Amino acid sequence: MNGMHGIIFSYEKSNGLRELTEPRIHGSVPFGGSYRMVDFILSDMVNAGIRDVGVIMHGKCQSMMDHLRSGKSWDLSRSFGGLTLLPVFAYNSARGNGRFRGKLEALDVVKDYLRHIRQDYVLLADSDVALNIDLKAVLETHIKTGADITAVCAPSTGDGLYLNLDETGRVREAVDEQHQGLRCLQIFLLRTDLLLSLVDRFVSRHEYSFQGCVLQGLTRELHIQGYVFHGFAAHITDVAGYYASSMRLLDPKVRQDLFCPDRPIYAKENDAASTYMDPQGGCVNSLVDDGCDIQGSVRNSILSRGVRVEKGAVVDGCILFKDTVVKKDAVVRHVIADKAVKIGPGVHLEGAEKYPLVLGKGAEV
Amino acid sequence: MKKECIAMLLAGGQGSRLYVLTGDMAKPAVPFGGKFRIIDFPLSNCANSGIDTVGVLTQYRPLELNNYIGSGQPWELDRMNGGVHILPPYQSNTGATWYKGTANAICQNIGFVDLYDPEYVAVLSGDHIYKMDYSLMLRRHKETGADCTISVMEVPWHEASRFGIMNVDGADVITDFEEKPAQPKSNLASMGIYIFTWKKLRAYLLQDDADPASANDFGKNVIPAMLRAGEKMVAYRFEGYWKDVGTLDSLWDANMDMLSPGSGLNLLDKRWPIYSRTPSCPPAFFAETADVGNSAVAKGCDIRGEVKNTVLSYNAVVEEGAVVTYSVLMPGAVVKKGARVEYAILGEGSLVGEGAHVGAGPETAADPDKWGVAVLGPQTEVAPGETVPAGAMLDKTHGQEAKV
Repeated sequence: MNGMHGIIFSYEKSNGLRELTEPRIHGSVPFGGSYRMVDFILSDMVNAGIRDVGVIMHGKCQSMMDHLRSGKSWDLSRSFGGLTLLPVFAYNSARGNGRFRGKLEALDVVKDYLRHIRQDYVLLADSDVALNIDLKAVLETHIKTGADITAVCAPSTGDGLYLNLDETGRVREAVDEQHQGLRCLQIFLLRTDLLLSLVDRFVSRHEYSFQGCVLQGLTRELHIQGYVFHGFAAHITDVAGYYASSMRLLDPKVRQDLFCPDRPIYAKENDAASTYMDPQGGCVNSLVDDGCDIQGSVRNSILSRGVRVEKGAVVDGCILFKDTVVKKDAVVRHVIADKAVKIGPGVHLEGAEKYPLVLGKGAEV
Repeated sequence: MKKECIAMLLAGGQGSRLYVLTGDMAKPAVPFGGKFRIIDFPLSNCANSGIDTVGVLTQYRPLELNNYIGSGQPWELDRMNGGVHILPPYQSNTGATWYKGTANAICQNIGFVDLYDPEYVAVLSGDHIYKMDYSLMLRRHKETGADCTISVMEVPWHEASRFGIMNVDGADVITDFEEKPAQPKSNLASMGIYIFTWKKLRAYLLQDDADPASANDFGKNVIPAMLRAGEKMVAYRFEGYWKDVGTLDSLWDANMDMLSPGSGLNLLDKRWPIYSRTPSCPPAFFAETADVGNSAVAKGCDIRGEVKNTVLSYNAVVEEGAVVTYSVLMPGAVVKKGARVEYAILGEGSLVGEGAHVGAGPETAADPDKWGVAVLGPQTEVAPGETVPAGAMLDKTHGQEAKV
């Protein structure tokens, strides 16, 4: 069958996001007020006509499962195919005692699932990059260049794998942590049968890293093509980067790119009523989701659903997750408040722009 | 499969008193309160009250309404047994007719009701804004052993002559029903919400249908016939917010009620959620130049101007230097730079051009009785610099419609 099958990896990574990933994995970290990180790649897949998506779950996946449910928010609730949750290590202690040792091992555990993939191509992606990418164009390029694997990369900075491309766009070298070349966005396209053979080949040798074995190890043997993405991509690995990427959303050009109306980003529905702005409230240069009650002053901030800012309170340069309450006359600057944080009356809290203060889920100050 | 109680929702109304605003849609599909459509209220009330089978009776331009209700999933009415069903008029071997009246609409769908073999049927109206637990009303219906229970609310005595008034005895048993009485004997107004014992209603519907002189209407024919025959009819007193939004003024009023805590219309209350189907859009953006006060703002809005005492529906846009006061902007309405919008309802996807002026406050009117909110129908555009006076109504062909 023509077309692509989506596989999303949602696993515990090194904890640069500190308190934000205490109750959840990267993919279910809120982003942009109305979304979770995973919404972006999931919507990109759906917008490219992908109708079957497997999500490899690992680690603290409760929050992710609550979020994805049957997949109906992304139109992936189907009686045949659609969204499949794959909690790979949950039942297999022989596999690294539940430790995530690499994508190839995870794929090996769900090999039965892979064998039943109907589509000719598989798109592998992580769940910690927010971007709006036309994946149909990636497939077209993949076919046109005759590549074995296409890896999406971008001219951005940050930790992770970097790809050096030759003049035809073919990957000459994949290097870790060198910050030379183009940053790999961990989105890969390849034929389903090639993926299966790679899994068999390396797992039988107890080698599990897709990056190490395939991208770095087979650069000569396989034709790995780089696909350069020039739009906005927020690859969140640490708190400072998360904060900076979030604040870039206040730029209308960035929002036009990320929330491009031709390829909408879908989020789980919510039934909150509109946000209410009090006559005494003031709100400028901010993104505000539904169900908020704003009686104080809000600027340069991103507010998720159901946030309450009481009279006299000042919120500046903050990211407030769902149901945060900022009580009377409190002043918060450069703060990231996780779900249902309560900031008491008159409290003053100040983080720095480069080092925002993070308040864990449900914290009371 | 047998159900104890199902609901029949009358959504066929053309909404002619909403004039241009209804455009190509039936009245219950008209947007309300930023994120909702009028029909969300009765549908959500059903879902919250444990009624999982709802027949929606439509006939006037039902496309938008059908599309909106879809599988019923937003209201959790996509059920294996029951769920929400759209019931348009249909052709049978005895011929096809439109729904002649509210009672006739249900009479033509006796077959649908019988599928579920219910003990009770709730008959609801599709154009009221209210939150009501029908299960409490049903409990009272059962306790009193009534054949029909009618929801009523106390209205101010001086307004009683505008409503259908129920006269009751000490036990709230209805003794008399008067439509818009000049000298009201009671101030209990019917809210157009009924629960019937189905066997009884079924018999009266067939009897009414056989009478060629009948208008086949609940209020005019069926209820009076049941009263005359001495059936037990009980009033159920409702306290709380309720508004019939069948007119432009009442629709505007009800939207404004969202903004005043004293009105009793609290949509942020999570104990009785109102569900809706809304598109995916990013959070609302308030620009550096935005000045927003006493207003409701939904996701997808882009606000760069001044917005006061206004309800902005999702994806509404107010550009820099524009001023919007005491108005209702329906989904996707756009107010361009430097335009002024006062006391107006802007329909879905309408556009007010740069520097245009729509509507005016009541204080500007020479004759206050002739003043009214200005209304733009869906997809209507006002040219840059143009003025649309208070009380005017424009549709997308720019034909002005006169209020009658």
